[in-house]
Amino acid sequence: MTPPREVAVAIVGGGIVGLCTALELARAGTEVLVLDDAARLGGTTANAGSLHVQMQSRFIRMYPEQVPGLERSLPLYTAAARRWTELERELGTSIELKPSGGLMVAETTESYEFLARKCEREKRLGLRVEMLGRAELARIAPYLGEAVVGAEFCAEEGKLNPLLANQAVRRAVLAEGGAILPETRVEHLAPDPRGGWVLRSASGELRAGRVVLAAGAGTGGLLAPLGLRVPTVAEPLHMNVTEATAPLISHLVQHAERMITLKQLAAGQVVVGGGWPARLHGERQHPTVEASSLIGNLRLASHIVPRLARLRLIRSWAGVNTTVDGQCVLGEVPGRPGLFTAVPGDAGYTLGPLVGRLAAGAVLGRRDLDFDIRPFSPGRFAGAAALA
Amino acid sequence: MTQPSLSWQDAAGDSREIGFRPGQSIAAALTAAGVRELRATRRGLDGEGRGLHCGMGVCQDCLVEVDGEPNTRACVTKARLGMRLRHQDFPGVARLLDGPVPVPDDSPLPAPQVVDLLVLGGGAAGLSAAIAARRCGLDVLVVEERGALGGQYYKQPAPGLDASALDAQQAEGGALAAAAEASGARILRGAELWGAFDLDRLAIFDGTRTRLVAPRAVIVAAGAYERPHVVPGWTLPGVMTTGAAQTLWRSHRVLPGRRVLVAGNGPLNMQVACELAEGGAQVVAVAEAAPHPARRPLAAVALAAADPVLAAKGVRYLAALARRRVPLLHDTVLRAVARAPSGALQATLTGGAAFEADAVLLGYGFLPSHETLRALGAECAFDAARAQFVPLRDDDAMTTVPGLFAVGDCAGLGGAPAAREEGVIAAVAVALRLDREVPVAMLEARTAARLRLARHRRFQDALWALFAAPRAGLSLAEATTVVCRCEEVTKGEIDAALADGAPALGEVKRRTRCGMGRCQGRYCGQLLAEHLAATQGRPLDNLALFAPRAPVKPIAIADIVALDRAP
Ligand SMILES: Cc1cc2nc3c(=O)[nH]c(=O)nc-3n(C[C@H](O)[C@H](O)[C@H](O)COP(=O)(O)OP(=O)(O)OC[C@H]3O[C@@H](n4cnc5c(N)ncnc54)[C@H](O)[C@@H]3O)c2cc1C
Ligand SMILES: Cc1cc2nc3c(=O)[nH]c(=O)nc-3n(C[C@H](O)[C@H](O)[C@H](O)COP(=O)(O)OP(=O)(O)OC[C@H]3O[C@@H](n4cnc5c(N)ncnc54)[C@H](O)[C@@H]3O)c2cc1C
Ligand code: FES
Repeated sequence: MTPPREVAVAIVGGGIVGLCTALELARAGTEVLVLDDAARLGGTTANAGSLHVQMQSRFIRMYPEQVPGLERSLPLYTAAARRWTELERELGTSIELKPSGGLMVAETTESYEFLARKCEREKRLGLRVEMLGRAELARIAPYLGEAVVGAEFCAEEGKLNPLLANQAVRRAVLAEGGAILPETRVEHLAPDPRGGWVLRSASGELRAGRVVLAAGAGTGGLLAPLGLRVPTVAEPLHMNVTEATAPLISHLVQHAERMITLKQLAAGQVVVGGGWPARLHGERQHPTVEASSLIGNLRLASHIVPRLARLRLIRSWAGVNTTVDGQCVLGEVPGRPGLFTAVPGDAGYTLGPLVGRLAAGAVLGRRDLDFDIRPFSPGRFAGAAALA
Repeated sequence: MTQPSLSWQDAAGDSREIGFRPGQSIAAALTAAGVRELRATRRGLDGEGRGLHCGMGVCQDCLVEVDGEPNTRACVTKARLGMRLRHQDFPGVARLLDGPVPVPDDSPLPAPQVVDLLVLGGGAAGLSAAIAARRCGLDVLVVEERGALGGQYYKQPAPGLDASALDAQQAEGGALAAAAEASGARILRGAELWGAFDLDRLAIFDGTRTRLVAPRAVIVAAGAYERPHVVPGWTLPGVMTTGAAQTLWRSHRVLPGRRVLVAGNGPLNMQVACELAEGGAQVVAVAEAAPHPARRPLAAVALAAADPVLAAKGVRYLAALARRRVPLLHDTVLRAVARAPSGALQATLTGGAAFEADAVLLGYGFLPSHETLRALGAECAFDAARAQFVPLRDDDAMTTVPGLFAVGDCAGLGGAPAAREEGVIAAVAVALRLDREVPVAMLEARTAARLRLARHRRFQDALWALFAAPRAGLSLAEATTVVCRCEEVTKGEIDAALADGAPALGEVKRRTRCGMGRCQGRYCGQLLAEHLAATQGRPLDNLALFAPRAPVKPIAIADIVALDRAP
């Protein structure tokens, strides 16, 4: 397509957040254009498709001071998981969404008891969670190994196939009249003296009435010249996929103390991840797989689900996750009217459609959002006060 | 003496006993018994399953259930007495591990084992490199995935097969393998280099454990595999590569079928046609994509001048085919394969001729196995003349990564004689790089190797000038033709993805699953890259193929995590 010179709303970043923002805006009749770099593998193309809701007991142990923040965010995750279910219906095509529930497994009584206390708190906060002992697990999750003594089950959790979801959302954006400019990196962003914004890329200058930065780890770099320091950090993470096998693992499986997620896709492959580190390599900062992560992650996987041991690994890959402070960075930039950020918090793929909806709502100036997004404002970062 | 046997259960669930010769592969035993389809597919697109295709462990099509273990490659698994083989459904059921499950281990990875030189591949190039490196006093580790040394050109009788060398070529290979064994190099057979993470972090599964190795230099001599020829029906059981048929015959003494059609480009096809005919097969035709040599007299003369002995060998093959009245059709390409009502394969050629055969052999040239080189960061470029990606190398066969060398066919097809010379050149370069005192004899050997290499290269250039032929790419595929064999993605599905926004390679993969399967895009990757270059003007550069990622080939998780912690 010939790149337009002017658009009502430009969205920088065509990950799940950018695409979902575009979808909501296009549906509301707004003219949108998504510009995506794609040279850098964002979280959206690389992610595992786990729908996370319950709190990570590992984080709670490591950062007890963050518990109030985590608990405040819980309703966001329940709503986000629900939003995915609605979205699949709206898209009218299967994204292999399975609200099958998630298990966080424990290997020791001590760990199980810690989970049980977490479970109690989450129940009080309205989550559909329960503790399962060995006998119940043997019934609903016979694939788990003997090392597992029990688990916390969260009914809201589940999984989907991001390869299908990304395409379906992309097609929906186009069907609603949105436009997408792939393989286009926005180099620079500046306020237009005549109002609105000017974006510069290899395909020329684009004027936009409003701009949404949904550029994941690239967001901070675009904001810095404007004086706002949003510390988006590129975090390269590791993933594995096995050969297909007959239906084996029905749930999303996590571990109470260790980094792992595993699940089975509809066609039978098992996707194993959970945040093991990769590294950014060479001039292009290509996310590259590390031996220690590959071996460590798979060792743990076959420990929890022994039947995985005989499955062959077909491929591993690495993609770039974005971390800030665990919370979304969502809303209008103070003192910069018409410029919005949309960076999800932890488990950002789960949050994608919800964050997209909230970001679109903010752009449209809607006051009836389901969530008060003020706590997530980019105004909480250094430089904001001077801007405002 | 009674013949050992194994049991085979077909798709209908009927079992029978199948005899085999000790040493034969499962694929050879089943082929000899007339079994061609080994498994079902997910989508069942051709109305048939899959069988043997590449015959060398690359395409991952020949999957079969062996003693309850699904997805076992029949072509690289030895037949054993009493084995229970089963036609396999998709996707098979993962078996439980016998024995203890791995325990998570928080200790850092063990320090890798240090060696002077790791040679990947035990074919002509690798063995020659290993021998030369030993003569230079280096401590050498050779990793070869097959049970027998020798590689593709010197294909040896399968270990354990009671058979003597077929001809001079096999005998020469036997001598090279014996010299390598005697050289003092440590040779790991049946070992898989599955993870090329870094030059000093190579993960090798030796059949029992995974060990990490940190060589001071690496010579990759991983060879090549056959270029796909994508036509309707190319996935049917019985359609296999020329190399697969040659392995069946040379290593296992089994014919691919009674009636055989050979279609391709280049002299190997004629050689294999002769070998099979001599072995008792009826070669119904050889279809050669290039024009008749008489129409390229200059190239024919150049060939004869470059290496009269090898050129004469070619002429002998032609004469042998003529003597047996095998039709040799020039300017002719296989256009489609279908199942004939008789149950045989029906092969249709350009020009309209059609033949019935039990096996259709495809030999449309080779693609270098450069996956390990790419994973280690060696820069590759597209060689338009040969239509293949090759690593950039200096005169010592060193890639753009210091200490990483590429020799033989994995660096671009050059044939076995050239591969042997390159092995010597690279080995001496490694010794000099490591500041070893190189014996004068080896320096002289290197000079001689360089001279001979120049001649071999002139011969190869003349050979491919003589055999130059247009490449089909995806032009013979119909909308319903499978392009990605593993994930069963059709040309029509790829076209539909391309019509929607002209996506880049990675995006085509994610949308269609083309390239996501077990062969890891080895067959469809370059086809797709060339197609995108032609239709979207994308460069055929270092980033044009799928990203090189671990594992090099699919490997069981149990084998990956069986870490050798011994110092
Ligand atoms: C390996 C891995 C596994 C994960 N697994 C899960 C999981 O199971 N569940 C879960 O909930 N979350 C998971 N995550 C996290 C999740 O994927 C991300 O949080 C989420 O996808 C972020 O979406 P996004 O749209 O904000 O950003 P991204 O997906 O990172 O997209 C940002 C896009 O912006 C583009 N961009 C950046 N700068 C520019 C620029 N200047 N101009 C134009 N474009 C630009 C990038 O190219 C990229 O395409 C995982 C992450 C990784 C890396
Ligand atoms: C749920 C899920 C399941 C998946 N299942 C599979 C699967 O079964 N099999 C599978 O293969 N993948 C699978 N994937 C992986 C996925 O499609 C991509 O492989 C993933 O996006 C990572 O991309 P990649 O870097 O491996 O590049 P690929 O998509 O493999 O390759 C294309 C990219 O690699 C770059 N590239 C090429 N050569 C180099 C080089 N030498 N150095 C650096 N970059 C290079 C190219 O420029 C191009 O951008 C799955 C992904 C998800 C989310
Ligand atoms: S035929 Fe066995 S892997 Fe190709």
